[in-house]
Amino acid sequence: MRLILADDSTLLREGLARLLADEGHEVTATVGDADALLEAVAADPPDVAVVDVRMPPTHTDEGLRAALRIRERHPGVGVLVLSQYVEKRYAAELLERNTEAVGYLLKDRVVEIDEFLDALARVGSGRTAFDPEVVRRLVSRSTHTDPLQRLTPRERGVLELMAQGHTNAAVAKRLYVSQSAVEKHCNAIFDKLGLSGTEGYSRRVLAVLRYLGS
Amino acid sequence: MRKVQARTTRIVSSVLVGVAYAFAELLFTLLTGLCLVPVLGSPRGKRAVLDRARALAVTLAGRQCVRLARSAPELLASAYTPDRALRYVAVRWTAGMLGGLVLGTLLLGALYASSALWMWAVTEIDAPWTVFFSSLGGLFLVFLGVHGLHGVAALDMRLARHHLGPSEQTLLERRIAELASTRAGVLDAVHDERRRIERYLHDGMQQQLVALGMLLARAQRSGDPARSAELVGQAHEVARRTLDELRDVAWRVYPAALDESGLHAALETVAERSVLPVRLRVSLGREPPDTVRTVAYFVVSEAVTNAAKHARATRAEVRVGLRRGVLSVRVKDDGHGGADPEGSGLLGLARRVAALDGRLWVDSPRGGPTVLTAELPCD
Repeated sequence: MRLILADDSTLLREGLARLLADEGHEVTATVGDADALLEAVAADPPDVAVVDVRMPPTHTDEGLRAALRIRERHPGVGVLVLSQYVEKRYAAELLERNTEAVGYLLKDRVVEIDEFLDALARVGSGRTAFDPEVVRRLVSRSTHTDPLQRLTPRERGVLELMAQGHTNAAVAKRLYVSQSAVEKHCNAIFDKLGLSGTEGYSRRVLAVLRYLGS
Repeated sequence: MRKVQARTTRIVSSVLVGVAYAFAELLFTLLTGLCLVPVLGSPRGKRAVLDRARALAVTLAGRQCVRLARSAPELLASAYTPDRALRYVAVRWTAGMLGGLVLGTLLLGALYASSALWMWAVTEIDAPWTVFFSSLGGLFLVFLGVHGLHGVAALDMRLARHHLGPSEQTLLERRIAELASTRAGVLDAVHDERRRIERYLHDGMQQQLVALGMLLARAQRSGDPARSAELVGQAHEVARRTLDELRDVAWRVYPAALDESGLHAALETVAERSVLPVRLRVSLGREPPDTVRTVAYFVVSEAVTNAAKHARATRAEVRVGLRRGVLSVRVKDDGHGGADPEGSGLLGLARRVAALDGRLWVDSPRGGPTVLTAELPCD
């Protein structure tokens, strides 16, 4: 894939660029602030932009704002947002207007190369990737506790993986069960959460996440 | 010597003017008293007389405030009631007259003390002993007069402060307001500080550690032993840098050297670590209290950092001295000035200084130089 990296720490930016180059991706540009990122994306749209939430000048959420703008202006470019810590608000903002090609990961996940590359691939192919930590917090502290109470522990596990953006096949592999078993769990979950009408991977993920985060 | 002379001249002239006013005040008091006699029976008449008297008393008291402003500037800003002014004027003339008496004594003493001189110049002295004793007596009178003069000046001041100065209640209210605002300021400063620490950790340390993790992960995934070794070597380098950074962050959060070796040593470290040359002059005599020295340290460290980062200075000069229970800190740089006292760093400093009842001045005209001065009471 063709990628642009935006992070204000040179050390991390260059490290990440090398890592992705090792894995056979092409890093077309590396930038240190949100303005430069928007310019770089406009000049040569990549498949995915990997964006740090905090960037100069204020180090609050410039990266997230830039990511949302990229999704608006360049629908063909996926964004994977990296954050220093889990912030439900950011995840919710990303989800609000986007139904595909968005991801939100804890920065530390970069160290788990396989997971990181997997998330990147999902965003690159127009799907979603949400950090297990974000999902766990949404699931555990959801305001809609009642329907969640009705889920079995196994269904809850399936729900978490589904909300991270995994396909049924990936969920099945991770939980060591058959794909049809996962599909059964999914239907049970949708029934219990009242989301039966949704279709497609991204849409079902977003439906679940919106439901949990609302 | 010149200082003493100037002070004496000031006291004498102040008392002299006070004497002149005393006559006006005495006249005013007598007249008010006389006007009150016929209207004693009627409350309305009494009120009318007193209202007029009060208005005049405010004017007269105002004059005294101007006269004493040099030693008691707070009187000029004091909002005293007309009632208090009237009471003050009614008693002030006594101090004024006393001042006249003392000045007279001084003059007489001076005449007697110098009698030997001018008698010797003008005539033959036929009773030398008498003249000698007169001079001695004169000297004694001068001595009494000088003391009396200081006494009268002090009495004048006390009267004015007591009658016209802010009342106990006002002072207390002011102090409470001050404490409430500095307390809020301290809380803000603490929050800012915490935000800063969080920023250090996330934007510095965390990035370094993620980079380190990435290098190691790449080394693990690389099939080529030589490449792995190279990546591990890089990771080692990053780990070392991260440790340096950690030390740096811990130091910025709280310089441990302050507790271990005192303010002077900690300031030396600031000077050593600074990118621009810092000339340090410290004269303490004793170690200031913990809270005070911590604030003094941060004032210097912030000022030096700003000088290097924002003012593009080429050198800085730091002076720290402890005199009469006040720790004074002065940092001067030759940068281009224009520092904003409302900026987050300087505002945080001002709050911390205010919390110790200290004061902070920032003098930073465009084009420089910038001078930061803090005074911190140490009792």
